[in-house]
Amino acid sequence: MRRYLMRRLVSALITLWLLATIVFAIVNVLPGNIGRKILGPFAPQSEVDAFNTRLGTDKPLLEQYITSIKNIVTLDFGDSYASGSAVTDVIFPALFRSGKLALLAFLITIPISIAAGIIAARRQDKATDRVIVNVGLASSSIPEFVTAAVLLSIFCVHWKIGKVFANPPPGTSPIDQLQYLIMPALAMAIAYFGYLARMTRAGVIQSLQSDYARTATMKGLSKGQVMRGHILRNALAPTITVISVQIGYLFGGIIGVEKVFNYAGLGSTMLVAAKTRDIPVLQGAVLLIGIIYMVSTLLADLLIAALNPRVRLETSS
Amino acid sequence: MIDPDAIIAGPSAGPPSPVAAEAVAMGMSERKQARRENWRLIRRRPAFIIGNTIVAVWVFCAIMGERITPHDPLDFRSTPHLSPGSDFWFGTDKTGRDVLSRVMAGARDVLKIAPLAAVIGVVLGVILGLLMGYIGKRLDNVLSRIVEAFLALPVILIALLAITTLGNSAWVVLGVVSVLFTPVVARTVRSAVLAERDLDYVTSAKLRGESSGFIMFREILPNVSGPIIVELTVRVGYAVFTVATLSFLGAGPPPPSPDWGAQVSEGYVSLSAGIWWTTFFPALAIASLVIAVNLIADSVQSVLEAS
Repeated sequence: MRRYLMRRLVSALITLWLLATIVFAIVNVLPGNIGRKILGPFAPQSEVDAFNTRLGTDKPLLEQYITSIKNIVTLDFGDSYASGSAVTDVIFPALFRSGKLALLAFLITIPISIAAGIIAARRQDKATDRVIVNVGLASSSIPEFVTAAVLLSIFCVHWKIGKVFANPPPGTSPIDQLQYLIMPALAMAIAYFGYLARMTRAGVIQSLQSDYARTATMKGLSKGQVMRGHILRNALAPTITVISVQIGYLFGGIIGVEKVFNYAGLGSTMLVAAKTRDIPVLQGAVLLIGIIYMVSTLLADLLIAALNPRVRLETSS
Repeated sequence: MIDPDAIIAGPSAGPPSPVAAEAVAMGMSERKQARRENWRLIRRRPAFIIGNTIVAVWVFCAIMGERITPHDPLDFRSTPHLSPGSDFWFGTDKTGRDVLSRVMAGARDVLKIAPLAAVIGVVLGVILGLLMGYIGKRLDNVLSRIVEAFLALPVILIALLAITTLGNSAWVVLGVVSVLFTPVVARTVRSAVLAERDLDYVTSAKLRGESSGFIMFREILPNVSGPIIVELTVRVGYAVFTVATLSFLGAGPPPPSPDWGAQVSEGYVSLSAGIWWTTFFPALAIASLVIAVNLIADSVQSVLEAS
């Protein structure tokens, strides 16, 4: 187990380093004067030079690269071009708000999708199964912002359930915040339902056909006991992996949802940064999301190893 | 059925599958016959037929464009924000343009960029995957790491970052999306190639003294065409998804082009005033196209993976 953990940790660090390198390459792919690009063609040369010196963009590329790698290790992403404040001061509060939305979305989607997946697997190829599989296919293939826009027009505008602007006023109690966050969270929950339900279904079907499930049934355990004690433990491994991957990928879809609901999370922050070409904020947010992805997939692998002794034994030998 | 292993297997090598060995044992004509049989099975699936019908309608709209729209999609002379009625079935937008005409003409942008991006991404991914799987060793180790790093981030994010630094022309969107699709395709092709690499036909080709290029592209490639076709159909779906989302986020083709994502982005601001039609119809159009492409992909996948 310890060796397994070490190996996973080292490979996660290498991936993170490569990720930072890719992001650095994208940002610096266009040669040119960053200060000139940000301040525009009419700014005086002296101001442009001062700007470049302040940001360190006049230094050689290699030096900038080393600084940017150092910044990830220390979780310090430099200063925002636009506001001048530290990038971390901009992205961490935004991440906290997005985290609330994401947590609510997962709380809605995980139990429903796993239940739907189990039901579909037990009624394989019957009408219930077909409905769940096809609804899942549709829900995971529609872009999140489309679902969000449709929910907003139907529920918030037509039926007046939920709020059009998802930002709760400061001082709102967590319970009252729910009515602001529920619709955007639902839009995200719908997007993840498909993957999770289909994954669970496939996992359960595979375990139902396995020898250990047959042995457990023949030894006289009830259907429920077989399901809980033998099938779910194995079948949920791919589902856990998918959830962990979704935690990172969620930030792709959350941008659209936050834009539709005018929610001031990390997604909106990145959009503003993209519009104002505030590269350090955008770069910092992207790297932070990469780190979150790494940590969540690492935790998922450990959880799977803890659930299934075969995984730990196989990899430690 | 979705095979969970196929999705999360990652870069680890599997043992050569007996199915693949059987495919090799089959002669050329038998392979052709099997392919024809698969194609017949795919064509008969209701999901495939429905998906293709919807796609065909949008392709027709994209090709005909202004010639069949009831109004000029760029003409802003009628009253702004008319609700759907007999003259304007889907209503008009904030500058008085016909929403129906704009939805019909809006199919063009996404249908021009998305399939092309998917094809380029798959071609690049196939080349990379063949090299990684067949040449292997150091090259494979290094490239696998890079592929994994790319997969650690949602495509939308890297695309947003790249388009912010490169500017948002249609060409940049096309290039960025296809490059970002390459790693996923490469990973799939790589694991398919690993299952083929040690089979007898490859060994005998080596003994005949064939070049690596010949073995990769003429011997192995035809035998991994199944996963590649599946990957292509799935990627087209993702490309539509990605291009629509990027244009909603303002990183797509510049206005006044009647793009669906851009229309939703223009329309959602007036939702709170009760004007739902400028958002709802283009959103529905995106949803219908994405679902249609995924229905096709799903039918192809379930037939090819069962055989």
